[in-house]
Amino acid sequence: MTHDTGSDEMLEAAARAYARGLPELPAALDDRVMAVVRGRPVPAVPRPRHMPNVWRWLVEPKQVRPAFAVPLAAAAALALFFVARQTAPRAASAPAVAAALPADTIYVRFELAAPAARNVALAGSFNSWGEQSIVLARGVGGTWSVTVALPVGEHRYQFVVDGERWVSDPTAHAQVADGFGVTNSVIVVSPRGVVRS
Amino acid sequence: MPVHEADRVEAADGAVVRRVLGGDVEAYRILVERYRRQFGRYAVSLLGDADLAADAVQEAFIRAFDSLGSCREPDRFGAWFYRILTNQCHTVRTRSGARRDTVPVEDAGLTSRERADAGLEQGELAARLEAALDQLTPEQREAFVLKYVDERSYEEMAALLDVSADALKMRVHRAREALRAIMGAAR
Repeated sequence: MTHDTGSDEMLEAAARAYARGLPELPAALDDRVMAVVRGRPVPAVPRPRHMPNVWRWLVEPKQVRPAFAVPLAAAAALALFFVARQTAPRAASAPAVAAALPADTIYVRFELAAPAARNVALAGSFNSWGEQSIVLARGVGGTWSVTVALPVGEHRYQFVVDGERWVSDPTAHAQVADGFGVTNSVIVVSPRGVVRS
Repeated sequence: MPVHEADRVEAADGAVVRRVLGGDVEAYRILVERYRRQFGRYAVSLLGDADLAADAVQEAFIRAFDSLGSCREPDRFGAWFYRILTNQCHTVRTRSGARRDTVPVEDAGLTSRERADAGLEQGELAARLEAALDQLTPEQREAFVLKYVDERSYEEMAALLDVSADALKMRVHRAREALRAIMGAAR
């Protein structure tokens, strides 16, 4: 349509004019950054986490012959129950499995009831707000869940529904505005579990 | 170890990250220069103020340095840093308590349809777009700025945002529709 074409042209002209008006940041910024980081310790690479053999056996993908499928599925369900029970946000006791993690890392289970969703992911400060790196699994009744190892500290997050709808966690410890009209959920992880107040 | 000019041109992000982690802190300047140039204007666009943007970019580089050891894909440092910078911009916006002095779209230009069709003054166009961008969702705004202000390809954007190119095309499409509606309604 003539009107759309005209609008598109105007929009692109506006974008070009807007871009031309944006200044480059000065090279002096590089000096300021370097002056600060020279005084800092060289960043350390976190030690790789060592998984006990039993835990590795439980979590590593493996081929299953049909005859063993049912008992193995039951074992896997038990294992998941164990992990979830020991590491759910409200659990404060030190779990046996979590003892294999660094002392400042805790398993946390995230859940979202979204029966109509086609997929749900978790994005937050702990995964650089990646929209696809932590994918939730759909459970009975349309409740989606995932268990994530989080370092002790405060984290902000949202669920990403169907790849485009960002949803805050209605059960979160707190909610904070991000300044763009979006509300992020907050989770606080202590060495003993998730802090709720 | 000094930073040579050849490094600035050739060194891949992953190699530079490994040098820094190995104790060659001066090599970090290569990444700072590279991504200050790439993302500086993006930060100005998000914050609407060059001084605020410079503060945000500086702080983001320092944060990235402190947590460089946890950068899981050093070859994709740019995408990793981009997320840190975006979140830092959000924090700065919240802390500063205000955006730029936003100009209502209807006050930012156009006095007549005829004038729009004939071509607006560049400054007016830019001001109207700037005001309209403030009304987009963060995702739409980010996608539009990367596509039309930074002039990145959808493949580049997909690598940066960890979102499929198809999803980004849809985001940009919706951003354009929204901008057309906002700017059109202000006529």
